[in-house]
Amino acid sequence: MTGVMIVLIIGALGVIGWIIARARATRLQAEVGRLATNSRPTQHGWYVALWTMLPAFAFLAVWANVMPSLIADTVLATPAAQTLPVDDFSRNAILAEAQSIASGSQAAAFNPQATELVEPYRAATLRYSTMGAILAAILAFACGAYALSRVRPSFTARYRVEKVVMWALLGASLIAIITTAGIVASLVFESMRFFSMVNPLNFLFGLNWSPQSAAMGYGNEDAFGAVPLFWGTIFIGAIIAMIVAIPLGLMSAIYLTQYARPNTRKWMKPILEVLAGVPTVVYGYFAALTVAPALRNFAASIGISNASSESALAAGLVMGIMIIPFVSSMADDSIAAVPQSMRDGSLAMGATTSETIRKVLIPAALPGVVGGVLLAVSRAIGETMIVVMAAGLAANLTLNPFASVTTVTTQMVQLLTGDQEFDSAKTLAAFALGLVLFIVTLLLNIVALRVVKKYREAYE
Amino acid sequence: MSGETALDQSGLGVPAERAPTDWRGDAMRRRIARRYASERRFRLLGMAAVLASAGFLAFLLISMMGNGLRGFTRTEVAVPIDFPRSVAMIDPAVLQTNPEQALANANLPAVLEQATTQAFGVSDTQLLSPNAVLALRDAIIRDPAILDQKVTVNLPASTGIDVAMKSEGNGTDEALASRLDDTGVISTAFNLGFLTGSDGTDPTMVGIWGALKGSLITMVITLALSFPIGVFAALYLEEYAPRNRWTDLIEVSINNLAAVPSIIFGLLGLAIFLNVMHLPRSAPLVGGMTLALMTMPVIVIAGRNAIKAVPPSIRDAALGIGASPVQVVFHHVLPLALPGILTGTIIGMARALGETAPLLMIGMRAFVSQPPGGFTDPATVLPVQIFLWSDEVGRGFIEKTSAAIIVLLAFLLTMNSIAIYLRNKFEKKW
Repeated sequence: MTGVMIVLIIGALGVIGWIIARARATRLQAEVGRLATNSRPTQHGWYVALWTMLPAFAFLAVWANVMPSLIADTVLATPAAQTLPVDDFSRNAILAEAQSIASGSQAAAFNPQATELVEPYRAATLRYSTMGAILAAILAFACGAYALSRVRPSFTARYRVEKVVMWALLGASLIAIITTAGIVASLVFESMRFFSMVNPLNFLFGLNWSPQSAAMGYGNEDAFGAVPLFWGTIFIGAIIAMIVAIPLGLMSAIYLTQYARPNTRKWMKPILEVLAGVPTVVYGYFAALTVAPALRNFAASIGISNASSESALAAGLVMGIMIIPFVSSMADDSIAAVPQSMRDGSLAMGATTSETIRKVLIPAALPGVVGGVLLAVSRAIGETMIVVMAAGLAANLTLNPFASVTTVTTQMVQLLTGDQEFDSAKTLAAFALGLVLFIVTLLLNIVALRVVKKYREAYE
Repeated sequence: MSGETALDQSGLGVPAERAPTDWRGDAMRRRIARRYASERRFRLLGMAAVLASAGFLAFLLISMMGNGLRGFTRTEVAVPIDFPRSVAMIDPAVLQTNPEQALANANLPAVLEQATTQAFGVSDTQLLSPNAVLALRDAIIRDPAILDQKVTVNLPASTGIDVAMKSEGNGTDEALASRLDDTGVISTAFNLGFLTGSDGTDPTMVGIWGALKGSLITMVITLALSFPIGVFAALYLEEYAPRNRWTDLIEVSINNLAAVPSIIFGLLGLAIFLNVMHLPRSAPLVGGMTLALMTMPVIVIAGRNAIKAVPPSIRDAALGIGASPVQVVFHHVLPLALPGILTGTIIGMARALGETAPLLMIGMRAFVSQPPGGFTDPATVLPVQIFLWSDEVGRGFIEKTSAAIIVLLAFLLTMNSIAIYLRNKFEKKW
């Protein structure tokens, strides 16, 4: 409550500073004339507003991080806290409980000692948050007054404000690097902890995946062989899905770019794009509810007795449908990039349209198409919801599309959504799988972009 | 034929050894026919591919509609209740001042039990939804006068009856439903509770408002973080960034982030936001931050394309009359590029709204029976709710899942239509 209030107060001070500075600068400008002033009145306003708000918000951010330990120290110094257990773990548990009651997120205490600490907690929280609010307000006021005192015709407000803007722009673009670094750091760090329990070679080349037995204490060494997972991922994402998506996507692109009338193209292209916009959870539900039972019945009718209701085929088929627009738009781009003169030349020699497409356009566009397919594969193997809902959990090394296989992403969800402690090999294995997935998709993307780029340059 | 002779006479030195092609001959006709047939086959194949893709989409939508539209209705049973003779113990004085309390003490479940046993010979738990008590309570609050009369109240039927009426239930429910249907006490009504309720244990009680609200709060966080950061980064990279190694690194990072599988962002959220920063689990705050990291590259890429499309002459003109580089961008380039940036933002937000996997990683799959009130309350979002319901074994959940999918698709299609409209309306050819 006080947090929101103080943010609003500082914001209001900033607005007031902006108005006063602008008014003063306007007056000064009227006195000395426009050409004698360095900056526009609005820029003076922004200068004062930034000085008012930025230091105060920075202070609040620091204060919010320091406050919990200050409060804890104060509470520990009260007489009620003298009877607390000495060991850190149970003491922190009682403190945490008292804190959640004081903040209102918990109704009653489990531990009677926590009840006694609620009042000191509340008092200390109130004291320190009020203190922080007052300090922040004073800081905002002081900095604003200082900035206001510098409003002069010769003052370079514009230059200074624009410098802040440039830093903000640079900071925003650095977020991308920070995110990438965060992903790599968290994956590598947690994977290292996993590999200190399980030999990386056993993980990468082992044939037996049974993390449940490892969690029950049968030893880690042989339970985390990820080869069945890698195979399942490749089988569903790179084989079955591509068998569906490449012909359909490629032929759709060819038809829409080479044969269809402009009107048909105008309508069909967005319709295909809708396929890409359907959320994957919807595809997953569709695969599990409609496609999988139909395929099982089909398998039973042609005499395959052990068909699973969570077959690789169902997941791969639906994933292929999801990928169609992706393949189609990549193929579209690369066919469009083939110079018109090549197409005209072939047609002028008397080739039919389909002969031109098959013998001239496709070979010329092939690098682009291959790049697009690689990107599609990287998307398919990282896809999660369809396989979680339709592909099953049994780690099988099989070529039978009607059998159940599991994938890397399915197992990641499975490993991390139970109620385990965070440092068991079972949960950490998800990060090792994530690291493998990250590296593979990254490599696929780099190779694909290289292929596409190299080919583009050939015709320009 | 005349062409061939003309060529010979022109003296180009082409030896006329080869016999002229006999285009009217059988062999050539067959060959042409074969080539034309192949052309037609290829063309048909292309058309078949397009139709198959569109057919998949149509089949998907129709099957969702077929299952889901029933989820918006509910079966109601007209139950005759004789209040004066019932076991209800309602203090009229308390009912005047505090109806909630009076009815909470009134033992309404027993009233229903008595009424259904007398009227239909079955217990209320078999016939009526757990929601029926609430419906009865609301009916009494609306019109307390019914307490002195014998009235017939329309109450929501149990899942078994509901499923039996809509499709095919199990044997006993099917028999009961057809017996009731013959006596004419069963009707179908719009299920308002589905749009206003939250998750529950019984399919007749669940609603999507809780998940929808969770989605909206999450999207607010995502938009508030990813839009400014994305636009600023796009402006920096396109307008100001010097060509050096750092800029290259930023560009490579953004392009890679756009291609990283979404579940990896979930791992990042789990490791950094939950385990290092100790933010609350299942909260829209964490979900929004995770999705913002995912949406940001989409906005940056769309933003850069939009900014690139603004012609340099506009920048030159502004610089020429003395604007500073910051003024050029914020007064001229950004307003002109904004429609393109907004289109990209809406598309990115639509993707974030449909995203499930990263949110599963950060624990937004809890059973949440109350709509979240703030950024740190436990919440779930629409796609995750769909996933959770799809895991339920009860048959009544199938139509609820499909109905939730219809709501989600309606939101996504609306957002995408707005994006297309914006693109068409504000697209400028310079």
